[in-house]
Amino acid sequence: MEHAWIAGKPAALAAALAEAGKLLGSSRYPLIAGLGTDVAGARAAIALAESTGAVIDHMNSGELLRDLDVMRSSGVMLTTPGEARLRGDTLLLVGPRLVEAWPELPERLFGSLRPTGAGAVERRIFWLCPGDDAEIPAAGGRKTVTFGKEVKDLPALLAALRARVAGRSTGKVGVSGKVLDEVASALKAARFGVAVWSATALDALAIEMLCGMVNELNAKTRFSSLPLAPPDNGVGVLQTCGWITGFPMRTGYGRGHATHDPWVFDSQRLVRSGETDCVVWISAYRAVAPEWRESPPTIALARRGTTFRAPPSVHIEVGCPGIDHAAVHHLASTGTLAPVAAAQSSGTISAAEALTRITSSLPDKEARPC
Amino acid sequence: MLTRIAGGRVIDPANGRDGVGDIWISGGRIVEPPQGARAEATYDAAGKIVLAGAIDIHSHIAGWNVNTARLLLPEYHAVAEPRPSVTAASRIGLNSHATGCLYAAMGFTTVVEPAMSPHQALQTHLELADIPIIDKGALVILGNDDYLLGLLHAKEGEAAVADYVAWNLDASRSLGIKVVNAGGAAAFKENVRSFSFDDVVPSYGLSSRSILKSLQRAVNGLGVPHPLHVHCNNLGLAGNAETALTTISAAEGLPLHLAHLQFYGYGKEGERGFSSAAAPVAEAVNATPSVTIDVGQVMFGQTVTISSDVLRQFNARNQARPRKWVIFDGDSNGAGIVPYDYRRNDFYNAVQWAVGLELFLLISDPWRVFLTTDHPNGAHFATYPEIFALLMSRDLRAQWLAELPPAAVAVTTLPSIAREYSLVEIATMTRAAPAKLLGLADRGHLGAGAVGDVAVYENDPDRAKMFRAAALVFKDGELVVRDGEVVSYRWGRALTVRPDRDRAIDRRMRAYYEDRYGLSDELFRVPEHALSRPEPFELVPCAR
Repeated sequence: MEHAWIAGKPAALAAALAEAGKLLGSSRYPLIAGLGTDVAGARAAIALAESTGAVIDHMNSGELLRDLDVMRSSGVMLTTPGEARLRGDTLLLVGPRLVEAWPELPERLFGSLRPTGAGAVERRIFWLCPGDDAEIPAAGGRKTVTFGKEVKDLPALLAALRARVAGRSTGKVGVSGKVLDEVASALKAARFGVAVWSATALDALAIEMLCGMVNELNAKTRFSSLPLAPPDNGVGVLQTCGWITGFPMRTGYGRGHATHDPWVFDSQRLVRSGETDCVVWISAYRAVAPEWRESPPTIALARRGTTFRAPPSVHIEVGCPGIDHAAVHHLASTGTLAPVAAAQSSGTISAAEALTRITSSLPDKEARPC
Repeated sequence: MLTRIAGGRVIDPANGRDGVGDIWISGGRIVEPPQGARAEATYDAAGKIVLAGAIDIHSHIAGWNVNTARLLLPEYHAVAEPRPSVTAASRIGLNSHATGCLYAAMGFTTVVEPAMSPHQALQTHLELADIPIIDKGALVILGNDDYLLGLLHAKEGEAAVADYVAWNLDASRSLGIKVVNAGGAAAFKENVRSFSFDDVVPSYGLSSRSILKSLQRAVNGLGVPHPLHVHCNNLGLAGNAETALTTISAAEGLPLHLAHLQFYGYGKEGERGFSSAAAPVAEAVNATPSVTIDVGQVMFGQTVTISSDVLRQFNARNQARPRKWVIFDGDSNGAGIVPYDYRRNDFYNAVQWAVGLELFLLISDPWRVFLTTDHPNGAHFATYPEIFALLMSRDLRAQWLAELPPAAVAVTTLPSIAREYSLVEIATMTRAAPAKLLGLADRGHLGAGAVGDVAVYENDPDRAKMFRAAALVFKDGELVVRDGEVVSYRWGRALTVRPDRDRAIDRRMRAYYEDRYGLSDELFRVPEHALSRPEPFELVPCAR
């Protein structure tokens, strides 16, 4: 059963798609935002952006670009959830809300290490600034060492820890030098250590500090890192944008070719400044409406149950990837783009199909050849 | 539709043809000249050169590593978009669309992505599927994977290794097997910092040699047409010609392909302890008929190195130009993305440039040496036309040599080499030979039954200009390029092999993934439906 509305009134799906095409056809500066969709949806969204000169942005671009900005301005060492699970004898968890970012984290990473040829090794876990509400795990009976109470102290503590790892002295930072030294020597004694964080809770400078420390630890031992992916297939959409446009999200086609600018093409800014005159909001994984208070003309492709501040100009219920339809998206457990079957195939239109049908209904502009 | 390409000089080494004549295409395939039939479309090729579509056997064009390079270097792509062909730097961030267009414009119709990590196979294929016009294929990397090393450690026997190799080829939809610094990525995870052919991966007690030999036997035994594709140990290091010579002698009469050999052509002579050792390496290749190589030519300018040789990339990360990099310890593999700028006035870079050309010119059999730049590691693939020109003109090489540091020129043999490639040799190296090497019976030639992939060039004495922009390119019999401009688009296919295997390996792999990763092996396979293209794959037959 399809569910679609035009200006809040129930409408046939075909009529809603046609209305969306009409709105986009007359838009001067469309924005495709949210972008919570699978790889097929991201491909279709980019094709629509190319056809209409639109901007593409993702609802979690902030986090994604914080990690990416560190990568594209310095050096990063990365590993997979699989290697962290199998080889990570020392885990350095950094910042709060990690289990919220990856609910399977305790199950995947906190268990005992498998015995290897070199004998059994107990995993050691250190958690910097876990926050008040974190459930602190015990790995294989060994207590997790937590340090740092206030999350706001995290950057200073991270800097102090990096200094201690490098054998430099530090000023007062709210954690005793003894504890910092204990952690620093444990990190240096790791055989294969892994730093884990979520950019939701860290700023780019803290991430850069952490990545710098991980690099320095590799002077003597092996250490890598596992930034946790934000929800709504953020990493999958990032990768898809990468190979199709050459850029991450926050990329616009207004000039007829892709240009990337994290500030100019920030969807919040484009809406609040009134620059965009038509928004395509995509949230296929969760019933999430845009955060902005403004109500620009909006074409919403959203999961069942999404409520908006004002009725969107067009609202089409779309299926959830991996539930209503088969999909390819990023999985936290594999760290890769992976195929997922439909858990409960429903026939609800996918975001990809809705977007493709909207694109093909557009008045004949100079569309991308393929 | 019956198409005739009329009156060009047809150079088709696979069929021993070199002369003025016609090529006829019908139903996407080349056909015998039909008796009394009229072509529905005739293209005048008088005075032009008619070749089969070119085949690139080793070019990093898709997958997480390549995409990470794009995301690492947005500044280069920003330069590229508005003016795609202006500068070398502007070519670096190529997206999938531009990759297909640029290859097609040069007359290339089949390209192999040589470094697909098994667990990232789906992303690689998604990217390949978004590259228009050309057909593709991918080599899957084994040799650092726990399952294989476990089999070898436990001395499970050749049949078990072969079944596992066959399972990987099928699961990842590959055209062949590559091994990258066999055991090196696994050893690096155990904090090993240098790794040679007879060094041992600590946990498994296996030498690089033993891993390579097992894979070589498995690939050969399965009848996979493409020989084991080898990225040797010690890439880029002074004196590593020894590694190349040792690896060549380890072929032991069985087929073995050594990738980007230029990066292993270095001696330790001269004041700086870095010199060309291309001559002895080329001599060894000439004397070892079961070995094929591609060059990995260096050309000057900004590029980015993308390699699964994580150990090498880790050690090179502090030479990054500009200073940023990604080092990845992956599942059973590794990767490193390190930007680099090859400079004409840099002693080492100049030697590297010369070593590549020496290998091209000193290896006598054009059926066993292949044009690559190890794109983008030695240079962007868009530099191929300049390389053709250098191979075809001693005078042009002399002009380039005159601009290089004399100290660099002094430690190479390049100035003394008179050989100039003929068009027939170019056609062999880029068409007939790669088709043979990959087992593609219906490609790389212009005989009846071949795929209708044809490239027509102006016979311009400026060879770089000639090869940069083909006059006409046909893909599956359809005109896709005219005067270097894409005139129509289509989606290509990915070429795969699927040798027979004992299906018991499927159950063993399922159990292994559940046990080791706590995950289903299905999450790492490449299902056809995931690619949302009508026919994404084309199966290439195996010998048995």
